Amino acid sequence: MNVNNILRNIIRSRTANIICQRWKSSDKELTSYDPFLAKPQKTKETYLEVIKMFEERDTRRRGHVEFIYAALSRMKEFGVQKDLEVYKALVDVLPKGKMVPTNVFQAEFMHYPKQQQCAVDLLEQMEDNKVMPDSEMEQMLLNIFGRRGIPLRKYWRMMYWMPKFKNLSPWYLPDKLPVDTMELAILALQRITSVDSDTKIDIWKTEEIEASLDKTWIVNGQSRVQQVLLAEQPPDEPLVIKGPFNVYLQDQIVTYFLLIGKTRPEYKDDTDLDDVSNIERPPRIPGVIGKVTLPQVKNTIHEQDDGTIVAICATGTSSRDSLLSWIRLLEKYNNPHLANIPVIFTLIAPPSDVSLFDAQQEKDTNKNTSSTN
Amino acid sequence: MALFKNLKLNTFQIYRSSSTLCQTFDTSLLKFPSGINRIPQRQLFWEKDRKAGYNSKEQPGKIQHIKDGFKELKSEFKLFTQEIKEFIAADPLLIARPGETDLIWCFNDPSIINNFVTTCDSDHNQGYSSCGFDPSPAGRALFHGYLDTRVPKDGQVKKAGYCSIRSKRIRKSFKRETTFNWNLYNTIVLKVRGDGRSYLLNISCEGYHDITWNDIYHYVLYTRGGPYWQIVKIPFSKFILGSKGRLQDKQTRVRLDRVTHFGISCGDKINGVFNLEIEYVGLEYDPTHNEEFAYEMYKTDRYIVGV
Repeated sequence: MNVNNILRNIIRSRTANIICQRWKSSDKELTSYDPFLAKPQKTKETYLEVIKMFEERDTRRRGHVEFIYAALSRMKEFGVQKDLEVYKALVDVLPKGKMVPTNVFQAEFMHYPKQQQCAVDLLEQMEDNKVMPDSEMEQMLLNIFGRRGIPLRKYWRMMYWMPKFKNLSPWYLPDKLPVDTMELAILALQRITSVDSDTKIDIWKTEEIEASLDKTWIVNGQSRVQQVLLAEQPPDEPLVIKGPFNVYLQDQIVTYFLLIGKTRPEYKDDTDLDDVSNIERPPRIPGVIGKVTLPQVKNTIHEQDDGTIVAICATGTSSRDSLLSWIRLLEKYNNPHLANIPVIFTLIAPPSDVSLFDAQQEKDTNKNTSSTN
Repeated sequence: MALFKNLKLNTFQIYRSSSTLCQTFDTSLLKFPSGINRIPQRQLFWEKDRKAGYNSKEQPGKIQHIKDGFKELKSEFKLFTQEIKEFIAADPLLIARPGETDLIWCFNDPSIINNFVTTCDSDHNQGYSSCGFDPSPAGRALFHGYLDTRVPKDGQVKKAGYCSIRSKRIRKSFKRETTFNWNLYNTIVLKVRGDGRSYLLNISCEGYHDITWNDIYHYVLYTRGGPYWQIVKIPFSKFILGSKGRLQDKQTRVRLDRVTHFGISCGDKINGVFNLEIEYVGLEYDPTHNEEFAYEMYKTDRYIVGV
């Protein structure tokens, strides 16, 4: 290595060293005292109690940055990570007035960097948990860091973007999803069948079928169009039950099953006199020119190219028997034709996608056992 | 949303504010000359590497490189003659037909899948997610995998959990890089079948200067879930500029003549399996949509925004 290189290395690493000492992330430091661990009951009340205890213990509130970091990491344990009040209580730990910059140099060069970084991390955790701050939070931050503080910028950014994204989803879901699995299944089926506004969601009990073994509920979604499509199914071609498939409602998973009929022939529109789909594509024009119908345009939305969906359901147990009850209930309500058509059950195995975490752990344990051997 | 963590944000005003998913660099990724013990450094004025140390491609030796290059001469010349022919034959495209979708990638042909690459956090030992982009049973493309937000305990990575696909860089003959020109269109159209999760559409507009290397325009792709296909039309005016995953204060409209990559990523912080089936990605001109940019462009106080 030439001298030049070595010199450059030394100079570079030293400047980086000096800078990083001041800007070193404070995450890696340990808290010596953890009052959260001692609480037997992990609730919001006890969490706020710990914060209160810290505030009253010492008028100078020594170690408040470390305390806030410790508190942030314990939020999930106490189940308060989505509670704005708790975040406000944590911001309230920081001293007011002391850290407001009084001249341009302080304002420019990050006055009290650790405290500011800590407040930014707190706001970031709020953002990750989809908690939107309010104007009281702004007042608190203003009193602590002043108008030029970096947490304030973060706050303003959040208040600009978060309301824009909050109700963006075309499929509305309440903030708190219902705990009951049947309610969840209804929500899921409403979402899936929102393609056809005619769809009726029924809730059936398997008790209605005497031969059923599983006594559970079935949420069924079928529109009048689908009833017609099912009635047009030729009796010599079997219907297929496919599933289980998953649908996510925020972090909840609902399993559903499909009843699929035969693939119907593609609708052929020969009346188009201006059809230019067969002309050769001139060069330099992207895509397909002149093709009026895109691939896979069908007569109704239920006629997909991998089969015609004639009904959809979610059951309480997702068992074979409950699905059998579903078919019988379908037959009972408005689908008498189903009595003549054979139905095949094709329940697929769960997908092969798995977390690498478990695989690695397994490997580690294997390694450990082999080393002990 | 920009986090003022990196030094360059505070000191140098020109720099795009950024803070990566992982807090500090993994030192093993950056190839330093051995011998001197060094701490991970932060570049203040420039970024020397487009991939910021995440380059996983193995570089062949010089001689091997030349040998491989000679093998590709034939196909490249073929491409070149075709380009010349097109240049002579074709007039520039001036209008897009309203209401018709021009397909950029149609996955009915399984070979189109090879135009995309997948990335996830486990590729760089920064997480446990895994993903793939394969032909689906219905004959389309399926972006599938397992999203895992668990953080590996190496003391460096703070957050984990992303999977993404991205198109390969569009190029002309002799490996010259070029860009898409989508100026005629104002809407992106996708036909997808998802699982109820929300995904992120990414349009990269890498430029020449290092400041623009990480410019990606984002928008959310909400999926309905279920067996029905859904056609998603998103106007380009709604896309939001981000750099290294952080939304920028000073927003601009997508530079449609500078599009280098298109991608879809999954990182909604929900552990579990995900499946997104894609039939096509296309472009459309919607004459009824005349919004230039969906977000406010007013000037704010000095030293508040974009610092």
